[in-house]
Amino acid sequence: MGGTMASLRTPAAPAAPEKPAPPRGTRLPAAARRRRRGENVAGFLFMSPWLAGFLLLTAGPMIASLYFAFTDYNLFDAPRWIGLDNFTEMFGDPRWRKSVEVTLWYVVVGTPLKLAAALGVALLLNQKRRGQAFYRAAFYAPSLIGASVSIAVVWKAIFSDDAIVDRTQRAVFGMDVGGWTGDPQWIIYSLIALTVWQFGAPMVIFLAGLKQVPRELYEAAEVDGAGTWRRFWNITLPMISPVLFFNVLLETIHSFQIFASAYIVGGGAGGNACGPADGSLVYTCYLYVQGFENSRMGLASAMAWMLLLAVALVTAVLFWSQKRWVHYEEASR
Amino acid sequence: MPMNGEVDRRGLLKLAGGSLAALGLTAAGCGGGSGSGDGTVTIRYAWWGSDDRAKRINRTIELFEKKYPKIKVQTDFQPYLDFWKKFNTQASGGNPPDVFQNAIGFLRKYDQRSVLLDLNAQAEAGNLRLDGFRAGLEKFGEVDGKLLGVPVGSNSMALVIDKPVYEKAGVTPEMGWTWDDFHEAMKKIRGQGRVGDSGLYGVMYLYDPYLRQQGKAFFTKDGLGFDEADLKEWWTKGYAGVKSGIYADPKKVAQIKPKSAVAAEIAASEFTWDNFTVRYTAEGKSEYGLAPLPTTDGKKTGQYLGSLMLSGSKRTQHPKEVAQFIDFMVHDPEVAKIMGYDRGVPTTTAQYEAYKPAEEKDKVIASVNKEIAAYEEKLVEAGVLETITPHPAGADVCEAAFLRIAEELALGERSVDEAVKQFFTECKTALGS
Repeated sequence: MGGTMASLRTPAAPAAPEKPAPPRGTRLPAAARRRRRGENVAGFLFMSPWLAGFLLLTAGPMIASLYFAFTDYNLFDAPRWIGLDNFTEMFGDPRWRKSVEVTLWYVVVGTPLKLAAALGVALLLNQKRRGQAFYRAAFYAPSLIGASVSIAVVWKAIFSDDAIVDRTQRAVFGMDVGGWTGDPQWIIYSLIALTVWQFGAPMVIFLAGLKQVPRELYEAAEVDGAGTWRRFWNITLPMISPVLFFNVLLETIHSFQIFASAYIVGGGAGGNACGPADGSLVYTCYLYVQGFENSRMGLASAMAWMLLLAVALVTAVLFWSQKRWVHYEEASR
Repeated sequence: MPMNGEVDRRGLLKLAGGSLAALGLTAAGCGGGSGSGDGTVTIRYAWWGSDDRAKRINRTIELFEKKYPKIKVQTDFQPYLDFWKKFNTQASGGNPPDVFQNAIGFLRKYDQRSVLLDLNAQAEAGNLRLDGFRAGLEKFGEVDGKLLGVPVGSNSMALVIDKPVYEKAGVTPEMGWTWDDFHEAMKKIRGQGRVGDSGLYGVMYLYDPYLRQQGKAFFTKDGLGFDEADLKEWWTKGYAGVKSGIYADPKKVAQIKPKSAVAAEIAASEFTWDNFTVRYTAEGKSEYGLAPLPTTDGKKTGQYLGSLMLSGSKRTQHPKEVAQFIDFMVHDPEVAKIMGYDRGVPTTTAQYEAYKPAEEKDKVIASVNKEIAAYEEKLVEAGVLETITPHPAGADVCEAAFLRIAEELALGERSVDEAVKQFFTECKTALGS
């Protein structure tokens, strides 16, 4: 702590060149100690907006919800301690299991497709060609506006009965599903399509990773007669594997938390918030229903903690797996 | 503050103090209506409904504020489902609107949670008149001796029909027609290239009268008034109707929501509240009318008058003003002229007589409203109206589950047995039994 503070302070006060920071273990002169304490206070003061926000809006509610998870709480009456009842009810609830199924399917299908799209486009944009800056911006745009409610509303319109997707599908494939948003089996794919369309953010990260791959490697490989596919498989992929790992991690965690698009695209259908016949009943959507429609905040809190545990577990597995496939460059260059 | 643009410490302090005070005022303003120095009182009024309803209500509030210059009304409205989510959150935070639109399914729920104001005290104090109501409607919002809501408009279940389609098919529903007649009619309409019904199997407020035709009911005072075998019969028939194509494809119905299947010309009729014809007329192109509910014995429809109510919040600081507001809204004849039958047929005789459907400028609305009035008069004459018991707490969750699970059944996602089992599990959890 002492060393960091000193090194932070030095560039801040260039006008008064001081004595070098006193060695560790020696007591500072009284004046210096006072000033250091003053700086500590100032530091905390500057941090205070963030700190207050964190404590009041994140840490506090989280601790409260951990407590609520073990209670029966309807927002009106005082929470009543019921031990693990919320968890046993949750595991026995077929709707909860359905929500887990829907969410896993969304994550397992949606995330790889999104990353594949991101990587594919990043590879195209990494070539030397005119107007790349424009294309980069164009492909990135959807992920900027993607989280908005209006996009989900538009999405719903595009994928409903007799709208463009439905008509195209009928005309081209001769297949009539009567609109994806009204079909319990198809609605989830409209949500997957939405997330895949928003591949901009991982694409930009891939692009940054691709720029780091040394050209000499490709040149050497080309001399050795490696084709495009071989070069991609043996050079590009290992070289960007840390970036790939980062993207996989981020997108997986992100996918587990899908809410807004499922709620809006699935909403309003038959007075059901999460799609026809629970077709888009993703985990957070069911959590919302239990908490805000059925006023079961205790159960909803338990569900939230379960999701946190699941995501933590998946993250841990991903970290463990990186030994096998993520190639961190040694300091050998 | 100094004029030369310099900000000294004292000026800054004053400024800070001023903004803190302003913050305090805003907080007080949010805290359930406030009074200011000259005796002016602000009350918050919230309801659910469409833009059209909002326009009408705002005009009635102007009238109210003219008559009571010392009361200001702040308004807020959402669609039905969003309204209740917002209300629930506000009420749990101790900050519900002072006065709000309410329905029978929510009386016990929010009474148990100490949210609703017992208006009896205000009635005794003379701030709210309970005389002059039609057909004993002043009792409608009474639960265990407490007056938790005052009805503003009566409505009843009906079969809302697309008239030209019914005429072409040669179907004229009469009072006392049976379910067999109804199914024959559905088949005839199918011959006209339009399905007959939009999905009656999921409508709790139709299943309730159906059960009442057999001497049962959907809800008792504290639980469910029917068993799994009853529901199995109802949903088996419903599913058969979907499969044979006399009821609408549930996918199509789901996707055009919030528009109704009748107005969207998917189905030729729909079981719903009679005042919905007003909405369908605004939404759709055809001409809409009302047909009575089919019966089991040729006589008993099992229906009752329902109603939207106005309720007060127990935590309001202005119970007197809330009572005066409700009194004005249910008794003032001018209010009736503005509202028409938007919330149902006015509940007080004064308002009922003040609004003449025939005087509406719009001929279509005039004829629709005449039809509603005639329908409810016919129900009173036929003597089929029963009394409704206020639903147990959790009834709203049961209603939502009923609709959702019926839809899952119709979409082929669940078998009848599974659907019935799931409904009983969910509903019993919600009712806490």
